[in-house]
Amino acid sequence: MTILFQQLSNALALGGVYALVALGLTLVYGVMRVPNFAHGGLYMLGAYFTYAVLNGLGVPYVVALLIAAVAVALLAALLERLVFYPLRNAPHVHAMIAAIGVLFFFEAVVQRIWGADFKQIAEPIPGILNVGGVVITWQRLLVILASVLAMLGLNFFLKRTLTGATIEAMSQSREGARLVGIDVNRVGMLTFAISGALAAVAAALIAPIVSVAPSMGEVMNLKVFAIIILGGMGSVPGAIVGAFLLAFAEVFGGFYINLDFADVIGFAALVLVLAIRPQGLFRRGT
Amino acid sequence: MLEVQRLSVNYGPFRALHDVDLTVQEGEIVVLLGANGAGKSTLFRTLSGLQRPSAGTATWRGVPLTGGRPEFNVARGVALCPEGRLLFPDLSVEKNLRLGAFVHRRDAAGTERELGRVYDLFPDLVGKRHAPAGSLSGGQQQMVAIARSLMARPQLLLLDEPSLGLAPLVVEQVFAAISRVNASGVSVLLAEQNAFAALGIAHRGYVLEGGRVSLQGSQEALLGDDRVRSAYLGV
Ligand SMILES: Nc1ncnc2c1ncn2[C@@H]1O[C@H](COP(=O)(O)OP(=O)(O)OP(=O)(O)O)[C@@H](O)[C@H]1O
Ligand SMILES: [Mg+2]
Repeated sequence: MTILFQQLSNALALGGVYALVALGLTLVYGVMRVPNFAHGGLYMLGAYFTYAVLNGLGVPYVVALLIAAVAVALLAALLERLVFYPLRNAPHVHAMIAAIGVLFFFEAVVQRIWGADFKQIAEPIPGILNVGGVVITWQRLLVILASVLAMLGLNFFLKRTLTGATIEAMSQSREGARLVGIDVNRVGMLTFAISGALAAVAAALIAPIVSVAPSMGEVMNLKVFAIIILGGMGSVPGAIVGAFLLAFAEVFGGFYINLDFADVIGFAALVLVLAIRPQGLFRRGT
Repeated sequence: MLEVQRLSVNYGPFRALHDVDLTVQEGEIVVLLGANGAGKSTLFRTLSGLQRPSAGTATWRGVPLTGGRPEFNVARGVALCPEGRLLFPDLSVEKNLRLGAFVHRRDAAGTERELGRVYDLFPDLVGKRHAPAGSLSGGQQQMVAIARSLMARPQLLLLDEPSLGLAPLVVEQVFAAISRVNASGVSVLLAEQNAFAALGIAHRGYVLEGGRVSLQGSQEALLGDDRVRSAYLGV
């Protein structure tokens, strides 16, 4: 029972982190119609920025998280301007290749500044919470609560504000959005910024549990692409459901079958779903 | 006044419009007749800013419409209700309409007033306001598309084949609505293949063939013209 609950809290925390990263990716895909292969790089930078701000400025963890989120948001908007915008009329493969280049560029820069070895971020609230025998680490609780909060905030923004509606409108009909007067370039930049902020928040949340390394972006890239393909490219609910499905498959598959098997299970689930629903779980067939 | 002068539009090497001259006076309904592929949508997309011309000019009240920025054109009072509607299918009808008023986002009271007016124009939409636009029938989606373009409070409304694929009764409803909009002072340019209903409400018309204006005239002249009668009225 205790072990089951621990696995459950692991899966929820991991799912929350996957969801935040995947949401940004799916939003950007929705408005740009181009997969941003540099997305994992933004996530990785979020972790390093948090690390650097914590060590360099000595500010509290939450402040470091917010600074990292703002910094990565700005960087992501810049990425849209410098890479995706100039390539908007070129074949999509150009932007994809450019984004992969950016991912490796980020990795190289990070390695040059901070080195290739693992970095540790201390848990802001060390230790565990024990409620009548049910045990969870404070950090996992924090990850779960913060990611849920971020998702609720995003949902509010998309559903209840006009600016949020412009993102949804643009992903459903780019020309329709232009005809009502929406400036699609501004929406594109804004969406990139949001995706960067979400990725950085996710990285800052999980960093005290895992270690921080330059390659963490590539690994996350693989997972979130699997997630949004699973959920349906561009679908917001699909990204969330896909994220938790993958996290549960990894955690419980790893526990009950074999830890080495954890990564394989996620992708087996992906293959299975795509065999039945090629368009993903949450996208209408076309 | 809408003034189109010697407008030409190319898709790569293919020229879809050749030296088109056309005007819409303030308060007029002008119909643009033409078979499939004549270039009607190309003209409309160009006037809305979605497509850039290769030569010629188009101005509304003296302001050029050819800068390739639809958000500029709609803010200057020229709204397109496009072929294929281009609605936001997963958003509710009302959200589609509110987004139609995006250029008036700092005038919330004006948007509420306009919302009331379009619901008044298309009462069928009131009961569907919370339904996803994509779930409506074709006729109702067309109403949403027209209503959404009206939410921008245009002075010139461009309607690209609004009757396409609609049942005769719905066509009648849509054309009655267009007449009412025009009566409230909005100038209208209306593309149609089904010429009968369109000429019924129009003041003047043009016939587009192979990207050129082949014929123009008043409502009566076009209704009486043999070529129009055989090609577009099926008489
Ligand atoms: N994006 C495009 N690229 C290349 N050619 C195009 C494009 N859009 C339209 N055309 C061509 O331009 C010509 C005019 O097309 P357009 O859509 O303007 O005609 P239309 O009068 O609106 O026809 P319909 O009644 O079928 O809507 C056609 O020959 C069409 O094949
Ligand atoms: Mg057309």
